[in-house]
Amino acid sequence: MKKHIASNSLHDPEALILYLSLLEQQEKFDAAVEVLSGDLGSLIGIQEDRLRIQGRLLARACNYSAATEIFERVLVSCPDDWEVFLCYLGCLLEDDLNWLKMDATMQICSPSFDDNGACKANHLSNDEFNSRISSAVSLVQRLQTDCNGGFVRGAYLANIEIERRCRLCGTKHDDNFVEALLTYFCRFGHLSCFASDVEIFLHLLTLEERDKFLEKLMKTLETPPASPLKALDQAMSIFKVHESLGVMFYLPLTDLEVTTKRMLQMYCKNLTLSKDLDPQENMHGEELLSMISNILVVLFWRTRILGYLLEAIMVLEYGLTIRRYVWQYKIQLVHLYSLLGALPLAYEWYCMLEVKNILVETISHHILPQMLNSPLWSETGDLLSDYLKFMDDHLRESADLTCVAYRYRNYSKVIEFVQFKERLEHSSRLLTARLDMSILQLKQKANSLEEVECIFENLNCGSKLLEMSNEDKMKILTFNEDFHARPWWSPTPNINYLADHFEEGFPWLKEKLDLLLGRQLTMLYAKNKKKAVGEEGIVKKLIERKSLLPRLIYLSIQISPISLKENVGNGSLHDADAIGERKSLLEKYARNIGLSFDDAMSMLLAIFKGQKPLKDLGPDVISWLNFTVFVNAWNLCCHHLESPRKDSSMNSWSVVDYMLRSCISEQLTHPETVLGVPGSNLPVLVQLVTEPLAWHILVIQSCIRSMLPAGKKKKKTGLVDSLNSSYAHAVCDSVQCLISVLQDIGKWVSNQIKKSEDQDVDSLLSHLQRSSSQEELGSILSILEASESMSVSEVGERISAALQSWSAATVCRKISAARRSLLLQFLSICESKLKLLYSINKSI
Amino acid sequence: MVCIRQATVDDLLAMQACNLLCLPENYQMKYYLYHILSWPQLLFVAEDYDGRIVGYVLAKMEEDASEPCHGHITSLAVLRTHRKLGLATKLMTAAQNAMESVFGAEYVSLHVRRSNRAAFTLYTSSLSYRIHDVEAKYYADGEDAYDMRKQLKGRPHAHSHSHGHHHHHHHGGCCSGESKAASPVDVGAAADPGTGASGSNSSAPASAAGA
Repeated sequence: MKKHIASNSLHDPEALILYLSLLEQQEKFDAAVEVLSGDLGSLIGIQEDRLRIQGRLLARACNYSAATEIFERVLVSCPDDWEVFLCYLGCLLEDDLNWLKMDATMQICSPSFDDNGACKANHLSNDEFNSRISSAVSLVQRLQTDCNGGFVRGAYLANIEIERRCRLCGTKHDDNFVEALLTYFCRFGHLSCFASDVEIFLHLLTLEERDKFLEKLMKTLETPPASPLKALDQAMSIFKVHESLGVMFYLPLTDLEVTTKRMLQMYCKNLTLSKDLDPQENMHGEELLSMISNILVVLFWRTRILGYLLEAIMVLEYGLTIRRYVWQYKIQLVHLYSLLGALPLAYEWYCMLEVKNILVETISHHILPQMLNSPLWSETGDLLSDYLKFMDDHLRESADLTCVAYRYRNYSKVIEFVQFKERLEHSSRLLTARLDMSILQLKQKANSLEEVECIFENLNCGSKLLEMSNEDKMKILTFNEDFHARPWWSPTPNINYLADHFEEGFPWLKEKLDLLLGRQLTMLYAKNKKKAVGEEGIVKKLIERKSLLPRLIYLSIQISPISLKENVGNGSLHDADAIGERKSLLEKYARNIGLSFDDAMSMLLAIFKGQKPLKDLGPDVISWLNFTVFVNAWNLCCHHLESPRKDSSMNSWSVVDYMLRSCISEQLTHPETVLGVPGSNLPVLVQLVTEPLAWHILVIQSCIRSMLPAGKKKKKTGLVDSLNSSYAHAVCDSVQCLISVLQDIGKWVSNQIKKSEDQDVDSLLSHLQRSSSQEELGSILSILEASESMSVSEVGERISAALQSWSAATVCRKISAARRSLLLQFLSICESKLKLLYSINKSI
Repeated sequence: MVCIRQATVDDLLAMQACNLLCLPENYQMKYYLYHILSWPQLLFVAEDYDGRIVGYVLAKMEEDASEPCHGHITSLAVLRTHRKLGLATKLMTAAQNAMESVFGAEYVSLHVRRSNRAAFTLYTSSLSYRIHDVEAKYYADGEDAYDMRKQLKGRPHAHSHSHGHHHHHHHGGCCSGESKAASPVDVGAAADPGTGASGSNSSAPASAAGA
């Protein structure tokens, strides 16, 4: 490089950046500073950009005083550059060890916000520390004076950061920290970014400080600013702070209910402020409705009163009637309707989000998991195929796009783009979608052995999918989902706090809050590390399980006539290979669901014998039942080899029948699970029928085909007559069992929909009209209905018309219709399987 | 403390999320990619201190040789939570400065919905754009667009060296080109949803289609 520069110099900023990066990687920081300060430095056209790099290089060379000076210069011209302020403070106090560890390719360092690290690293004496803090304070004051009256927040937020550092080192009174937060509130509390500005600091408050801070904030509500808009914005900031601090999880129920109603009244009263806004502009106070809905779900969690959940829905539907573009409301509704068993409505709102392009990768997690466990096969297929098409198209077009970057000589973008392409290529969502698509096809065709076999022809008998979860692919998986907009009760698709009981009491609460806050903090701190490793581990396990499934189904339906004959000798070598593979896959599957193969078998046996309760299987009964079905199929083929159990009472057919019957009957007799929402067990029931039960019917079909000698299928003599084997009896029993189970489900579904739609609506409305301890405030519904009377002169024509058109009964009717449609689709799946079983039974 | 910096390809995910939150028109990803791979100097994001992208500007250079060299603002969005902080002005200023200093643009154009008063005010009052023309039924839903323009100084390529094709541009630093005294304007969304929007009835952009 030196030679090249000497003869040809450098002409491009990209070349200079590369050269500096090489020097930095070699830790030749002084040389890099020299290059940057020389003529070549002018290649970086904007002075502040050059200074930022210089500051970083000096800091990495441990020349903190010079770095401080440079960062100070940047701050003087860009007082709102928060990252540079943190670099400045880190260098001034010499407490940021990240400089040493940082990656040379980073444009600027990401200073540590870890309180433990910062405190321990500080080696300055008290006097030295105080003197340096004083210079930071005077710089900040100077910056504040320079931008007085403007909207530059960095210089003011800096005060809080300085107090945080002092607090860490114990050099100042803790009250100063709270005071700094309050001062910031007084200045910027009316901005909607206030809460997110201070969120990271709120997390550091002790309980005592938190209460003090909240108390003082609430006092400001007593003397609101003169401007109604500013007063509304300030009040919203306070509510957001409450939300960030998790106040809703410990405030007494009555207080919480009062707060919710006051918030709603505030929203309705302030509708007048939005009178003249264009339809596409956001309403003033819009975020209030999201917060109200969040609190109502907390109230539901704490009380299990269904009415709160319905009120949460009403509030959001009301908001969308007024302005239909609010993305946050729609996302919340997608989740609430999914909870309530009204998935078609959830899907409808999801479609209204118009999720497309790369967003299908980042936000389809809001709906896909629920859809995959539903009877809405056609819609699920559409979602998956749209997504796969987008990704395939993108990957196909990547070469052309790379050429674009070359053509424009943007070489660094070529590298970025190739990395981006790989990121999408290795997406966990993409891999899961490919597996889900194949499994969905199998579910859709599961009533016909021949059609299932056709699908397997295209899947290389399931081996193709098995390959997808190999170790190499798992290592390079990327996780691109954006979980930011998920509701508080389900921070990831695999977590649903509402499924657990809410328990009052601080120790529990603290742990839960940490988890809830942890979600936000993970995002705040780890810019590019998307999610906790735990979540990634769960996804990897899920992918592995899904990739095993098709191959295991395929092997389970490969039942040859010879293997069904009792007392025959060892099978052919080919059979032995297949059996070996099956055993190894079953071992893998068992490990995936948490036990060794032998332990999993013992568990099944113990449950079958009544020695263990069904609940010992844990929450993932579907995987356990799939395992049971596959073990039975394996047992059919390997009885002449080494049988897993000599125990005569362990008839694997009976175990499958018992497990299916017990699990389904449990769902039917306890339809209202811990969630307390009718129909919330529907996804489990749907999965039981469309997965293990469906796979078991395939095994039965394959078995019957193998039992009947060719040419005898049409004869009048049944299977039992032609093959008087114990298998034939087992098959007959199993068919009878499945028929009876499906009949039970049919009765249950019919019971669910026997009420007329009007009765349904009345029942839902009655939940909304329950009596309240705060009669003077009225119910949520009455507040919403009262707003309908606001005149055109108050809220303008558009809002007035929207208010008139809104009706709780209409929403309830939509919910009822959606639930019915879902149940009917499920019923139709059950009936098709029953029909098949009747015909099998007849043939036997 | 929101920093305005050049966008990277990885930012596209967050930029598209912003687009969805703010604008009725959503662009196809290849349109974003075409912009960033062709004129990376003209794409800026506003990044909050927690690393969240809260706004962006997507701009390009028009390549029609029959017209004077000029840039075009394709899309501008700032999240609701971060409005009234002057971010839109900062983003626009950064893009305009880059058009001028890197490509020597003489003027910059944009389209805005006739009904989008907030954006219109931003362009006229804070950024000195003037209405050049009205394009009837420019948007997919039939709404008219104002074709607006702002004259730049139109200086030749800055720092032009012997290698004529080597453009000078800054790299990813924070607040590059930002205006220190940005005026706060409430703007959610603006610019050019007529081209490149992947809405059900809007056409694909000519430039991206050739990519």
